[in-house]
Amino acid sequence: MATRVRSFWRTPPGKIAWLAICLGSIVVLLGAWWYLTRPGGGISPLFLPPPDEVLDAFVRLLSRPYLGSTLGQHIAASLEVVMTGWLAAGLVGLPLGIAMGWWRKARWVAFPIFQVLRPVPPLAWIPLAIVWLGIGESARVFVVFIAAIVPWVMNSMQAVYSIDALLVSAALTLGANDRQILTRVVCRTALPTLVAGARISLGNAWTTLVAAELLAATSGLGYIALNASRTLEIGILLVAMAIIGVLGALFSVIMQLVTRIVAPWSRANAEGA
Amino acid sequence: MTTIAAPMASRPRRAPLSPPLVYGAAAIAFLLVLWFAATAIPGVVSNKVLPSPFDVVERFATLAADTFSGSTLFGHAAASLTRWLIGVTVAVGLGVPLGVLLAWLPPLRPAVTPVFELFRYIPPFAWVPIAVLWYGASTTTQAMIVFIAAFPACVINTQLGVAQVDSILLRAAKTLGAGAATTLSRVVLPVAAPAIFTGIRIAFSNGWMALVGAELVVGKQGLGFLISQGQINDSVSTILVGMITIGALGALIDVVLQRVQRLLLPWKSATTRPVA
Amino acid sequence: MTTTKAHGPTAKMDIRGVSKTFDTRAGAVHALDRCDLAIREGEFVVVVGPSGCGKSTLMMIAAGLEAPSTGQILVDGKPAGPAGPQRTVVFQRFALFPSETVAQNIAFGLRVAGVDRAERARRVTEQLEFMRLSQFRDAYPHELSGGMQQRVAIARALVVRPEILLMDEPFGALDAQTRTVLQEEVARLSREMNYTVMFITHSVEEAVYLGDRVVVMSSRPGRIKKEIAIPRDAGWRRLDIEEASSEPGFIELKREIWALIRTEIVRQ
Repeated sequence: MATRVRSFWRTPPGKIAWLAICLGSIVVLLGAWWYLTRPGGGISPLFLPPPDEVLDAFVRLLSRPYLGSTLGQHIAASLEVVMTGWLAAGLVGLPLGIAMGWWRKARWVAFPIFQVLRPVPPLAWIPLAIVWLGIGESARVFVVFIAAIVPWVMNSMQAVYSIDALLVSAALTLGANDRQILTRVVCRTALPTLVAGARISLGNAWTTLVAAELLAATSGLGYIALNASRTLEIGILLVAMAIIGVLGALFSVIMQLVTRIVAPWSRANAEGA
Repeated sequence: MTTIAAPMASRPRRAPLSPPLVYGAAAIAFLLVLWFAATAIPGVVSNKVLPSPFDVVERFATLAADTFSGSTLFGHAAASLTRWLIGVTVAVGLGVPLGVLLAWLPPLRPAVTPVFELFRYIPPFAWVPIAVLWYGASTTTQAMIVFIAAFPACVINTQLGVAQVDSILLRAAKTLGAGAATTLSRVVLPVAAPAIFTGIRIAFSNGWMALVGAELVVGKQGLGFLISQGQINDSVSTILVGMITIGALGALIDVVLQRVQRLLLPWKSATTRPVA
Repeated sequence: MTTTKAHGPTAKMDIRGVSKTFDTRAGAVHALDRCDLAIREGEFVVVVGPSGCGKSTLMMIAAGLEAPSTGQILVDGKPAGPAGPQRTVVFQRFALFPSETVAQNIAFGLRVAGVDRAERARRVTEQLEFMRLSQFRDAYPHELSGGMQQRVAIARALVVRPEILLMDEPFGALDAQTRTVLQEEVARLSREMNYTVMFITHSVEEAVYLGDRVVVMSSRPGRIKKEIAIPRDAGWRRLDIEEASSEPGFIELKREIWALIRTEIVRQ
C-alpha cells in the first residue's frame, strides 16, 4: 500500500488526471475567494472584493466609458504605444543584431555598448523620458523602445551567432556567396530563434508600457489601474490587471503561432519555450 | 596537445562572442567623447536636456555627500538594497522549495498550473497599484513587488533543474540503498544546484529591475524615488546619476553572484536553458 | 599491391606540400607536415589514420574551407580557388539546411549558381531517383533518419556535378547497419558514375572496401605515411561488405593497413 501511494506522488499524471487536478484547483481557488470575501468572511472588500463584484466592474468597464474613454479605447491606446515602440525597436534592433552576429567587427564595436546599457532597467528611463519628451505618447513610445531594443539586439545576435558553422561551410562548398549564405542559410535557419527574440522583446515592451502608463499617461490600461487604486475601485483595478495579463499571454501565443507559420520546419515549435 | 587542437581542426574557427577588451573600451570611450562634444559645442544640446559628463560626475559627488530628497545617494541605495534583499530572500526561501516539490511530486504541478498561468503574464509592475492599496507606501509594498518579480524564476528554474536529473542517477542511488531524503540531498540537489543558482540569479536581477519601477510610483526613499525626484526638479544630472547607480548595482549583484556560483558550484552547469 | 606516387599532369587534384600549423592558446600545434597526394580522374582515394592525425584538416584544406600554412592545392594543374561547387563536401554531421525540404536542400547548389527553374527541377528529380529518395522529396531533414539525411547530403553534393567529391567520415555518425547499407551504396555510385572521390575514414574495412587507393597517415603532425593501391578488379568489388570482408585478399590488406595504423597509435 505504501509503495502505491508513493508511486502516485512520484509519477506524472496522465492527461485526464492533469485536467481534473487543474479544474479542481480552479474550483478550490474560486471557492476560497468567494468564501473568504463573503460578508463576515474575514477579508474586507476593500482588500479584495468578492468575485461577483469584480465581474460587475468588468461589465461596467465594458458598458460605460471610464476616465473619459471606453475600455476599447484604453486598450487601443496601450496597444498603439506598445506596437509603435516594439516595431521601431525591431526595425533598428533586428538588422543590428543580425549584423552583430554575423560580422565580428560590428559585434566588437556595438556589443559593449549594449552590455553597458543592459543592467539599467528600462523603467529607470521613464523619468528621463518625461523630462525630455513630457507626459505624452512619445515619452511612452521612447521607454517601450528602450525596453524592446535590448532583447531584439541581443537575441538576434545570439540567434545568428549560434548558427552551426558547418552549415556555412556546406553552403560555401556548394558555391554560395556571402550574401546568399546570410539570406538563404543563416537568417532562415535562425528564424525560429529570431522570432523567439521578438517575442521576448514584445513581453518586455508590454511590461514596461504598463509601468510607463502608471507614470505618464492619460489613457491606457496602466492608467486605469492607477486611477482605480486612487479611487479605491479595487474591482476595476483587478479587471485592468487581468486584461493586462490576458493581452500579455495573447502576445506570447500569437508569436508562437508566427513561429509555426514562418518556420514550419522548426523543431522548437514542439518545445514552445 | 592532441585534445586541444583536434576540435579546432575539424571545423572552421569562429571569433569568440565577447569582443577583445580594446574594442569595447574604444566604443565606450567614443560614446563618452560624443556625449561630451554634444554638450560642449554650444547650440547642439542644451545643458538642461543633457548635461555634460563632468556635470554628472560633479552631481554624483554632491549627491554622495549631501542630502537630496531625504537622504544621500548612499542612503537611497541602502534603502533600495534593503527592500530588494527582503523581497528576494522571501522569493528564494519559498520559490526554491516549491520548485523542488513540484519536480519531485508531479501531481502537484497541475494544481498550481492555473495560478501560475494566471499570474505569469501580469507584469510585476502592474501589482504596484494594488500593493499600494494593501500596504500603503511602505517597505512591504516595495518588497512585495520584488517578491512577485523574483518568485517565478526561482520556482521554474528549480523545477527544471530537479526534473532534468537523470533517472539513471536516481535508480543508481536506490540500488545503493539511499532513501528519499538521502537521494534528494545527496544526488538531486547537487545536480540541480547550478540550474537553481541560475534561477536565483535571474530572480535577483528581475527583482532589482521591478523595484526601481515600484519606487518610481511609491515611497519616500530609494534610487527609483531619487530619479523621480530628479524628474520633478527637472534635474537630468540627478536622473543620470540615479540610472548609472541602479545599473552599476544591478551589474555588481550579477557579477558577485557569478563569482559565488563558480566558487560554490565548480562542477559543470546544467544543460537546460534558464527561464527568465 | 604497389605503392604509387602519382604526381604530374595526370592528377585531377594535386595536394602539394601542404602543411598546417594552428595557433592555440597552448602554443602552435603542428597538424599537417608536407603532405603530398595526387588523385587521378575517376579515382576513389581513401585516407585513413589514427584519430587526431589531421586527416580532416587535410580535407578542409582540399575543400578550400581552411587555408594551408604552406603548400597548395591544384585542380587540373591550376591552383584551386576558394571553396566552391568544383569540390563539394559530404560532412560527418550531414550539415543539411534545417529550413529546407529534401528537394530544396538538393537544389541549393543549383539555385545559388542561377540554374533556371526547369533545369533545376529536372536535375533534382533525377538525383532524387538516383539516390532512391523520391518519396522523401518534401520532408524536412529532422523528419529523416541519420542514414536518409546522409543520402540527401550526398545527393546535394553530387547534383552540382563536382569535379571532386570530398567525403569527411561520412558514415561516422551512423549506426553500424545503416553504415553498411550506405557503404554499399557509395560503392555502387562510384562504380556506376566513376566519380573522383577523396574519402576520409578511420575504418580500415571501409577503406579497403571502397578505395582504389588507401592512403595511410601518420600521427600528428600528419604526414602521408604510405599509399596502397587496390586493383580495380579485386575479387570483392561486386560483393556486399559482409561477403567481401571474408575474402582472403581483403583480410590480408586490412591486416597490412591496420598494422601501419597501429604503430602510429602506439607512437603517440
